[in-house]
Amino acid sequence: MSRPPQGQSTGGTLIGVDPRSATEPKPRESQAAERPVLFDVRDLGVRYGAHVALNNVSMKIYRNQVTAFIGPSGCGKSTFIRCFNRMNDLIESARVTGRVLYHGQDLYGPDVDPVEVRKLIGMVFQKPNPFPKSIYDNVAFGPRVLGLKSELDERVERALRSAALWEEVKDRLKMNALSLSGGQQQRLCIARCLAVEPDVLLMDEPASALDPISTAAIEDLMHELRSDYTIVIVTHNMQQAGRVADMTAFFSVDIGDDGQRTGVLVEYDDTQQIFTNPADERTEGYVTGRFG
Amino acid sequence: MRTTFQEELDGLEADFQQEGSIVLRSLRGALSALESQDVELADEVIAFDDEVDARYHEIEKRIELLLARQTPVATDLRLVLGILHNNIRLERIGDQCVTIAKLTKLTSHLDTKRSLIEGFEEMGGRSEQMIQVALDSFAERDIDGARSLVELDELIDRGNRRVTQQVLALAGEPAMQEWGMRMIVVSRCIERIGDNAVDIGEQTAYVVTGEFREFTDASHPSGRKL
Amino acid sequence: MSAATGTAGAPSIDHKPGFDRDRLVGWIFGGFLAFSLVISFVVLGALLYDVFSKGIGELTWDFLTRPPSSLPERAGARPAILGTIYLMLLLIALTVPIGVGTAVYLEEYANRERWYNRWLEVNIQNLAGVPSIVYGILGLAFLVRGLNLGRVLLAGALILTLLVLPTVIVASREALRAVPDTIRQGAFALGATRWQVVSRQVLPAAIPGIATGSILALARAIGETAPLLLVGALAFISFNPTLLGDFTALPIQIFQWISKPQEEFRLKAAAAIIVLLALLLVLNGFAVWLRHRYQKRW
Repeated sequence: MSRPPQGQSTGGTLIGVDPRSATEPKPRESQAAERPVLFDVRDLGVRYGAHVALNNVSMKIYRNQVTAFIGPSGCGKSTFIRCFNRMNDLIESARVTGRVLYHGQDLYGPDVDPVEVRKLIGMVFQKPNPFPKSIYDNVAFGPRVLGLKSELDERVERALRSAALWEEVKDRLKMNALSLSGGQQQRLCIARCLAVEPDVLLMDEPASALDPISTAAIEDLMHELRSDYTIVIVTHNMQQAGRVADMTAFFSVDIGDDGQRTGVLVEYDDTQQIFTNPADERTEGYVTGRFG
Repeated sequence: MRTTFQEELDGLEADFQQEGSIVLRSLRGALSALESQDVELADEVIAFDDEVDARYHEIEKRIELLLARQTPVATDLRLVLGILHNNIRLERIGDQCVTIAKLTKLTSHLDTKRSLIEGFEEMGGRSEQMIQVALDSFAERDIDGARSLVELDELIDRGNRRVTQQVLALAGEPAMQEWGMRMIVVSRCIERIGDNAVDIGEQTAYVVTGEFREFTDASHPSGRKL
Repeated sequence: MSAATGTAGAPSIDHKPGFDRDRLVGWIFGGFLAFSLVISFVVLGALLYDVFSKGIGELTWDFLTRPPSSLPERAGARPAILGTIYLMLLLIALTVPIGVGTAVYLEEYANRERWYNRWLEVNIQNLAGVPSIVYGILGLAFLVRGLNLGRVLLAGALILTLLVLPTVIVASREALRAVPDTIRQGAFALGATRWQVVSRQVLPAAIPGIATGSILALARAIGETAPLLLVGALAFISFNPTLLGDFTALPIQIFQWISKPQEEFRLKAAAAIIVLLALLLVLNGFAVWLRHRYQKRW
């Protein structure tokens, strides 16, 4: 532990003391103007048939940050995250209103191809879902599908390294992916996403099916990946949000007069704010575990 | 595993140790000003307390965030609580230094007694040593080192009693009375600094063993487990 | 009725004394199941024994290579065997692409909320239950007479295709449904188009199920007699069947021989049955091999 040099206390100044910068100002939502915005969500709503799952959500996601969505079950956080890569399109009865601006372009615009969107915005799911193929073929699937056939070996290695899995599997790339442990499978799924070199990584409860050690490994990975990717995660474990996220959004369920349950965004702020002094009492109730 | 968390913990501890050096510097300044009746230096010490306070608040804030976001348990939790406790102690020591400096200013125009000043030199040196030992034992989680603070504190206490006696002996010199009374307060400040250092040492034992035990206690001189 | 044993107050875990009606019912039911099993095996065993004991003697090379004849000692089953094999091959070539394709459309592409897709689904399931003779009449009316194909092998193959198609479609759909949706989601999320997802992930994973289902359906068709009769399979041809010519098949041949008065023809029929069973065994063996080859653990 280094100590600054002992000060000479001869009648005068306390020299040798570097006036360290005061605490970095914690950016509030209003002061976050200087952070680059990646997604600008405007009045987003999602309905499945007659059921309104999510209503009136507006927020910004910032580049190279980890943003977490927390909230009780049924609050629409999984529905919301699936809006960012148009995965809700796969559900026949789903209808999305509002806009999601990505680099200024609306993801739900008329000329936008969902397939192209998904090449830039990848997703990792709650239960690890490796394909029933070899480890190599799993990671190579994305590039092959996108027509990136050159230097496939290098791509696969790069992706596996980024996912902190390379050392464990480099000698058994041809083995069936399902022979890996749960934590390894999830990292494989992350590697699979990274192989197509996306901009954004969406993670829908990525560690909820994993044991604590694997969970910690995934959390460390998120921390490392943050510098190259923008990460959005859904988690029902709010302590996880506390550990990994820079920004946290709290969703809750609004019960309408007709008894319909709709998800709404209650509060969105720096994680430290949410966990030390949330503005809304519903947020407070949730993070303290009193209800929700 | 949990690299962010470990970095946060290490950073917090580093900040705490740095606060300790800052406070030591403040103490040296205050003692030096006292010994040479240097008003300018005393003013600097008083102004410098803002720096100490700023560090104190910063560490408190860091601890708040660490507890909220990382939910430490076991040794980690004890470490954080130990630093929280010691943070307050350091700030108190800082306040004592300010008091000494203020008294130096107040008495700058008065005559002094050499013997008393020499006594303070010794006591002051002891208190500096105690703070250093306390910080080092905490950093190294050295319980024995922390325990040694008790003996050092005993020396300061004796010094304090000597000062009181010497001031009482000044009763025959009315011109010295004001100075004498002020010096009793100064002595008290140094004695308090020693006590704070012992408190820091007790936290070392807490962090390592998980038990809070006072090293010495007025009602149970042999040490009482709480 | 609790007899406390051991420590006073501890609940009893020994067999309850006295008559237990529920247990008796359980025993009776178990006995009935075992009995059914025995009956099935006994019946099957008896049938097989009967066939083999009668037919094994007749199973010679001559039998397999000669055309039928009115003289039992010279009768062979060559045209019938070839007819059955050709039908099998045609059936595979027709039903698998159409059946699997339809299943893929219905499972992976069709919007279930559209009325025509629902209508299609319901009808396919109904068609699977239609008696085979109805297909025979259909074939006679539309293929033989309507399209003027005549009573040819192709017509027989087409009608068997229609017969078997619903089953293949249903089996393929089940196999496709058995592929976990998480696989599709994972593939889509990587930016694959629907066709890429289906062709590279879903179909390969569904092959075991599709193969098994299709081959079981084919095996049923091989034994069909009624539709072939109506579409014109002749029992007595001495030449090898061709695509657009007269034809016959093993079930027809067996039927014809059984109807003859001579005892020797019965033996020939038994031999033909053995050949038919052997062909079915080959088909099933192929299904097992395919399944084994593509089997993946989930």
